[in-house]
Amino acid sequence: MATQQEILEAIRAELTAIKVPDADTAQPETTWEELDVDSLDLVELVKALEDRFDVQIADPDLKGIASVGDAIALVERLQGATA
Amino acid sequence: MTSSPEPGARVALVTGGTRGIGKAIAQRLRADGLTVATLGRSGGDVQADVTDADSVQAAFEQVRERFGPVLILINNAGITADGLAIRMPDEDWDTVLDTNLTGAFHCTKRALEDMLAARWGRIVNISSVVAQRANPGQANYVAAKAGLLGYTRVVAREMGKRDITVNAVTPGVIETDMTADMPRELVKAIPAARVGRPDEVAAAVSFLVSDDAAYINGATLAVDGGLGA
Repeated sequence: MATQQEILEAIRAELTAIKVPDADTAQPETTWEELDVDSLDLVELVKALEDRFDVQIADPDLKGIASVGDAIALVERLQGATA
Repeated sequence: MTSSPEPGARVALVTGGTRGIGKAIAQRLRADGLTVATLGRSGGDVQADVTDADSVQAAFEQVRERFGPVLILINNAGITADGLAIRMPDEDWDTVLDTNLTGAFHCTKRALEDMLAARWGRIVNISSVVAQRANPGQANYVAAKAGLLGYTRVVAREMGKRDITVNAVTPGVIETDMTADMPRELVKAIPAARVGRPDEVAAAVSFLVSDDAAYINGATLAVDGGLGA
């Protein structure tokens, strides 16, 4: 099971890779809107998180995921479900 | 800004690449120094039925294994099943739409995975001059080829910020098996007063996948001797 910090680091790394400005300073409370993360960025982030943490993220899971913290909680929940 | 991959590292997949326009495109891209894989129903470097998503997925896995990630995709596979709309068998409608439009969707979806990872990609959809005109007897073919132009523009917009371009080419009457039975008097309608050659379409594709075309996205390039003008 990855820690919240590890998931946060992974999200920062992927957002940096897809050239989201200020990705390296993103905090759990930072929203996609503040980061200017669009739907294509999210598709790539989801793929990266799936590969890195060995989880499957379905489209319905993404409903209401509006911030870095929401994404961390989602990965934690899915990891718990498969553990 | 990411650097674009070296030409030799650019794997181009040409669907329907075993004959006609597709064959000429494959030959031209090879001559340009690209690594080219052809996809055909029964021939080519890899075989797939483009109407079947699983079959396309398997073919892409083979191409990745043997050649590398697909960074250039030419959606060229196409068929015709002509007849007046009023009498067109449902099956002829479905087969042409499935191959010419849905087939491009299946291949594009898989290729985009590789292109997104590479932060670089080129897609060229081979449409037709009839997509922007009309051609009685080809309701299915025209609908599919016009659909392909709309699809081209949407994916171009969706992927534009990742250095992935999606453009279309609309060939006119080109000397291939597909046009072999065409009445010769139709040539009179072509301003160039001749049919085109497959290598003339291939030249346009070669340009669109080159670095020179990096800022061309969502465009439709006519290669038709003026027929669609």
